[in-house]
Amino acid sequence: MEVPKSEELSEGIEESEQSVMIQPEPIVDKPKRGLGFQKTIDYITAYSFVTPAFIIIFLFGLFPIGYAFYMSLINWNVRKGKFIGFRNYLEIFGSWENLYWVLGGIALLFIGFLVQDKLSKSNHKIAKFSWLVFLVILVVAGVLFTTGWGAMMDTGDKAFLQSLVNTLYYALGTVPTQIIIGILIAFLLYQDIKFKEGFRLLYFLPYITPAVTTSVIFRIIFNREAYSIANRVINLFGLDPLKWRFESKPIMQLLGFNIEGFWAGPSLALIVIMIFGVWTFVGYNVVIFLSGLGNIPKEVYEAAEIDGATKWQLFRHITIPYLSPITFYLTLISLIGTFKAFNHIYVLKLPSAGDSVVTASVYIFERFYKFSQFGRATAMSMVLFLIILGLTFIQNKIMAERVFYG
Amino acid sequence: MANKDKITRSIGTIRKTHPIVRIVGKAIIYIVLTFGALVSLFPFFWMVSQSLMTLGETLQIRWLPAFPQWQNYAEAWSRARFGEYFLNSTWVTIGTIIGVLVTSILAAYAFARIEFPGRNIIFTIFLATMMVPESVTLIPNLFLIRGQIIPWGNWNDTFWVLTIPFIANAFSIFLLKQFFQQVPNELWDAARIDGAGHMRFLTQIVLPISTAPIVTVILFTFTGAWNAFSWPLIVTGRKWRTMMVGLYNFVSEAGTETQLLMAGAVISLIPIIILYIFTQKQFTQGIATTGLKG
Repeated sequence: MEVPKSEELSEGIEESEQSVMIQPEPIVDKPKRGLGFQKTIDYITAYSFVTPAFIIIFLFGLFPIGYAFYMSLINWNVRKGKFIGFRNYLEIFGSWENLYWVLGGIALLFIGFLVQDKLSKSNHKIAKFSWLVFLVILVVAGVLFTTGWGAMMDTGDKAFLQSLVNTLYYALGTVPTQIIIGILIAFLLYQDIKFKEGFRLLYFLPYITPAVTTSVIFRIIFNREAYSIANRVINLFGLDPLKWRFESKPIMQLLGFNIEGFWAGPSLALIVIMIFGVWTFVGYNVVIFLSGLGNIPKEVYEAAEIDGATKWQLFRHITIPYLSPITFYLTLISLIGTFKAFNHIYVLKLPSAGDSVVTASVYIFERFYKFSQFGRATAMSMVLFLIILGLTFIQNKIMAERVFYG
Repeated sequence: MANKDKITRSIGTIRKTHPIVRIVGKAIIYIVLTFGALVSLFPFFWMVSQSLMTLGETLQIRWLPAFPQWQNYAEAWSRARFGEYFLNSTWVTIGTIIGVLVTSILAAYAFARIEFPGRNIIFTIFLATMMVPESVTLIPNLFLIRGQIIPWGNWNDTFWVLTIPFIANAFSIFLLKQFFQQVPNELWDAARIDGAGHMRFLTQIVLPISTAPIVTVILFTFTGAWNAFSWPLIVTGRKWRTMMVGLYNFVSEAGTETQLLMAGAVISLIPIIILYIFTQKQFTQGIATTGLKG
């Protein structure tokens, strides 16, 4: 609560504090007109303070979303064409039915998780079979999704859909890896060791340095020549030189398996990009995990140590459960990050690796930057935006509903 | 007291790991951590090493140059035009930092300390813009700065196109707001009684005690502006090409001159490394408290 001000009052205080103590009446009586006036001044001040930021954020952050949506409804290649409604979207998905199948699969999966969660918590007889229910839902959801997705790949924009698959590969390859390495290093750094600060400084270096610069270095390390660093390293293990960034073949085929489609896995070129991703973001995960470790009450460890727990048991049964909210947060924020990732992928990719290294954001960029397909590119960017919104929604939903102490 | 003694004694008896086990355990920890640190560091070592080699040496199997070729840096700076790009990036970074400080300090103060209609809505809208991927905003913004949506002329390849769109962001406002909210109300009451308005309170009381969050904002803005790539790539030409775009273009323009490319890479890192070494505590703390992924 602030004391309403009037001229006499402030003067009175400057002269002597006592007068206020003895005669509090003016504070109560005077303020009504002053308060209204002060409010107006406050409003004007506030709006003029917020306006510069508002103009910039509105113009370059908010307005573009609406305008991108508007562009996505127009047949806009180099020059602006006709209004075509949702045709740009339709051409991405092939047909609306395909989209319904895919979305139905995802929705069912989400419902499955909720049902499983509810059932496993209840004491009802069925609870024992909750995993069975979940399994059935999972299978049905999987069938729905793959049916829709297959049809989409056949009739829709195959290259864009493939870029989403590549993004998924990239996410699956990097997110769990960097989290596991991150939590391990953070745990080791948290022990009673020397040079703690020094280690942290070094681990954090890749994250803080510009992605373009470090990608340029990785370009050279993962060259296809026999003298490149990557080839020298595998040579130590007696392996033949690989083409690395230039290799568009899926990893499973390189390993000698005769697999096609999704399960053939990412290309070696995309795996190089994943290695870069992990190398960059481990340090970030370490820092976040370290701050989480600092919040675990010391007493918990002490109590467990008195009970004779080993270091591994401490890690497994105290550290990991206590860190699980952070792990979850990092997983989703990293997942969202993979859908936004652009700079290092764009710098590391090569034409000879073909479509295998083109993730969604890179594909969208090329559509408009190289081919000036503005309408189609904005439609794809809106799809990407909706995916990110969906992930954010799941993040908020789950974060709000349960604290992970599992 | 006796009870406590008992507990400490029991800790002593139960947690008695063999000294050799302890030493081996410690050794493993150091080995793992050192290995990780080497992996983190190696690409940087390789960059510096290659930047000092002759062109011939970069094509051989060798770890270090026979004689460090310092003139590579001079050549990268002038002939490869990295000096020019470096200065461009410097100006852009300074301009962005000044802009961000002005807009976000003012806005954060209003959000934190003044009640006004629409405060929460506007703040939520600001925060929501943090979720929007650059893929969405890039294309409309390109049309915007070319003057195709609002007729304000074409800003392509100017200082303004690289700074104006970035001189306000929700993250900085959020960070400062969190801090400004913690300034005790008593200070404001006292200032107001002394006849100070919001502007005076902000500049004379709030800012002097807010150096920590302001430094964090400067750090994030610095790295954001210096490391920016996709926007400068599409809106700069010959004149305002930034360090990152220059580096990327050099890859395709002179793909074989690895030593110059690496010298350019070193030059592009210098400001960030210096900044990082001097402020690393603030850096890591800033990231740990905000959880922001840059």
